[in-house]
Amino acid sequence: MSDLLLADRIVKSFGTNRVLRGVTIGIGRGEVVGLFGPNGSGKTTLANIITGLARPDKGRILFEGKDVTDMSMDARFRAGIARTFQIPDPYPSLTVLESVRVALLCGEAARKETEGEGPGFQENLDSLLVRTGLFAQRFWPAAKLSQGCLRRLEFARAISCRPRFILLDEVFSALSAKDEAELVALMRSLHREEDISFLLISHNPLILEELCDRVVAIEDGRVFWEGKPGDLAKYVPSAHHAHGDEGENHEGG
Amino acid sequence: MKKPRFGKIPGVLVAGAGILLLLPLAGLDVFLLDVLTIGFLTAVYAGSWDIVGGLAGQISLGHALFFGTATYACALLTSLLGWPFPLAAGAALLLSTAAGAAVGALSAPLKGPFVALLTLALGEAAHEFFLGQTFFSPKGAYSWGGEGGIPVQLGIPSVSPWTAYYAALAFLLLCTWIMLRIARSETGLIWTALSGSELSARASGVDIQRHKRLAFVVAAALAGAAGVGYAACVGRATADDFSLELSFQAATFAAVGGRGTIVGPILAALLFHPLLQGTGIPPAGRVLLYALALLITLRFFPAGVAGTLRERARARRMTGRKGNGR
Amino acid sequence: MNPIAQVLVDGIFTGASYALMAAGLALILGVVKVVNLSHGAFFTLGAYVAYVLESRGVGNPLAAVLMAAVIAFAFGVFLGKSFINPVRSHPFSVAVGSLGFAILFEQAAQMLWGPHTLSIDLGAPIAVVGGVTLRRWGVISFIVSLGLLGGLSLLLSRPWGLPLKLIAEDEEIAGSVGMDVEKIRYLTFGAASSVAAVAGALLAPAATITPTMGRVPLILSLIVVIASGMEKVWNIFFLAVGLGLLSNVSAYLFAPHWSYVLLLAVICLLLVFRPKGLAGAGPVRDY
Repeated sequence: MSDLLLADRIVKSFGTNRVLRGVTIGIGRGEVVGLFGPNGSGKTTLANIITGLARPDKGRILFEGKDVTDMSMDARFRAGIARTFQIPDPYPSLTVLESVRVALLCGEAARKETEGEGPGFQENLDSLLVRTGLFAQRFWPAAKLSQGCLRRLEFARAISCRPRFILLDEVFSALSAKDEAELVALMRSLHREEDISFLLISHNPLILEELCDRVVAIEDGRVFWEGKPGDLAKYVPSAHHAHGDEGENHEGG
Repeated sequence: MKKPRFGKIPGVLVAGAGILLLLPLAGLDVFLLDVLTIGFLTAVYAGSWDIVGGLAGQISLGHALFFGTATYACALLTSLLGWPFPLAAGAALLLSTAAGAAVGALSAPLKGPFVALLTLALGEAAHEFFLGQTFFSPKGAYSWGGEGGIPVQLGIPSVSPWTAYYAALAFLLLCTWIMLRIARSETGLIWTALSGSELSARASGVDIQRHKRLAFVVAAALAGAAGVGYAACVGRATADDFSLELSFQAATFAAVGGRGTIVGPILAALLFHPLLQGTGIPPAGRVLLYALALLITLRFFPAGVAGTLRERARARRMTGRKGNGR
Repeated sequence: MNPIAQVLVDGIFTGASYALMAAGLALILGVVKVVNLSHGAFFTLGAYVAYVLESRGVGNPLAAVLMAAVIAFAFGVFLGKSFINPVRSHPFSVAVGSLGFAILFEQAAQMLWGPHTLSIDLGAPIAVVGGVTLRRWGVISFIVSLGLLGGLSLLLSRPWGLPLKLIAEDEEIAGSVGMDVEKIRYLTFGAASSVAAVAGALLAPAATITPTMGRVPLILSLIVVIASGMEKVWNIFFLAVGLGLLSNVSAYLFAPHWSYVLLLAVICLLLVFRPKGLAGAGPVRDY
């Protein structure tokens, strides 16, 4: 089975700090792959490299067979690689509706080039908001949303370009049980109905077990173990201690 | 929560436009008419800054570069090369737009404070250059340049102050309408997004650099249009058209009016320009008053008058909300 | 007489004073988190204080320095409390407002002392070394600059400097551990402003005193701070001295006008081509 997205032997250092030492991860069509690792293991750096926020020192990112290693983040978004951020950075002066509209505009523009005119724009926008449960709050300032709603907004933004791959960076962490359950349901429905592949970064083995087909554990910049989510606790000692930490969007995770 | 409406602003604008239309009939003296005429052009200049500095968040401290390019082009093309004014005006517009493209291309990769520094350096470099530059008339009879400036040949007998006033006012109203349309367009939305959170914008597929360049181009075109109007009204292009003071003025009007509101900077320019140029107070006192007014306004309206009013309106809309975001 | 060497040495002395200004600006940028465009006005204030003192017979530079420091501190605290702090949520407005204060000051200075250039006595030479005349203003500038910058560097590396560093890092945390963030902000603003005034008082004998004399030092300090960052005090010192040298030498070789143009050209080239050291100015490529 050829991978939808392949991170091939990624090496990355920040100064003298070797964060990634040759990591290879492949995600197949329709797969949900989990990425597990403690802080400092290189998860976030890998995520940034896969989605275009950073460039590797060595190695390539292949998406649908094409080398996208040098593609900018926004170009990758238009090509079908989306991501959510662990700490969302909502637009300070836009409403929820406007925030999603921005992503939809760029997604639409890219699509028009490849597919021709699509169905009504406003329809798309409204259905996106309904889909992610944000329709009622659509006129609220995005910056005033609760954490749970901000994560939904991240989803809405990510799926506006009709991606084939979404990288979820700790999207379920630090949420109330209710918010988490609703977000899980949203993700599941997206996976089912849109045939999107996911790379789910999480330090929570329970989430990984519930949602992933396969889990990759990295530690110290290397792939440590790969297997079924149920076996995670058996083979990965740090899985026993995993619990709520915050982490950042940028290096160190 | 209901869908937000624009509410008061169009009403204020219409009322303001009405006042301006009727003002000359109240019997203002010619000097004041002239001051207001230039004020209208300054207002367009201020609004043009807001496109790149307010909407797109790229703080440019060299905006006079685009303005001066247009005035100098008009002057040089009509006086040195003998072009008819309309042709020179078109060329001037193209040149300032090109300058915008160039500055935009150079600034787009840079982060905030460095954009300010580069645009400042570019503006001042142009200023210094034209300050020292002397041009000779076609027959070699006159030399022009520097502070004395270069005349602009309009090619028509002198225009009455009333005509100039209404022409400039119409220009202002037209440009305001254009700028507001741009601000409310898809591009305007994308600019607001990228100035609010570059990270989220990139992750939403926004080509940041391309949109920054576009903002400079549009702003420069509008500033150039203001420059063309200015050249026509004043009949002279001087090195002061590139000055740091003029560049700072654009940023200042935006701060006082409300960065990103378009209307704010325009109104600020309309109010402050006559204050600086045209009242009975001696020059020194005028500047003092201007600086004081600046400080006091910003103290009580930190986001500019229009900006602070907008923030307060938004906050009021939020108070109807209960719970934690559901 | 060795004119080139004289120009170089004077450039170093001038640069030392600019370093003081730049350090103050960096402090304000880091702790108060605003771009302070009134910094040049405080420089000018210091120079005028030196002038006023000298015209009343007090020619001692240290007296001028002290007086300038005290007056500027008072003004700075006032500005900090009445404007900078309340408006801090809108950094752009603070920058423009500080510019407004600078304009206000320039106007006031013009009204009080006229737009003409003034000057004060250069002071007796202290020594002549290898064809270079070392004058009092230069030597004192250098010593005071080293002293104050050394003190700042020491302050930041010791426990005393912790409040400043914490506020620069994260104001919320600073507030939550009981620091009076507001007070430290306006005190810092006052202190940095008084340092700018000290620089002005130190350079006054060697400069032409006009109401707008602070503009170029302001721009130079801005460049220094932007280029060298806010962390390393000694980076600021060396870069400022370098710029002082450059501007003095080019003013000597060409004309002051061209010295300014050269400076502008250097800035443009640096920002367009962004050599390794200035990579931080460019697109945010790596996380």
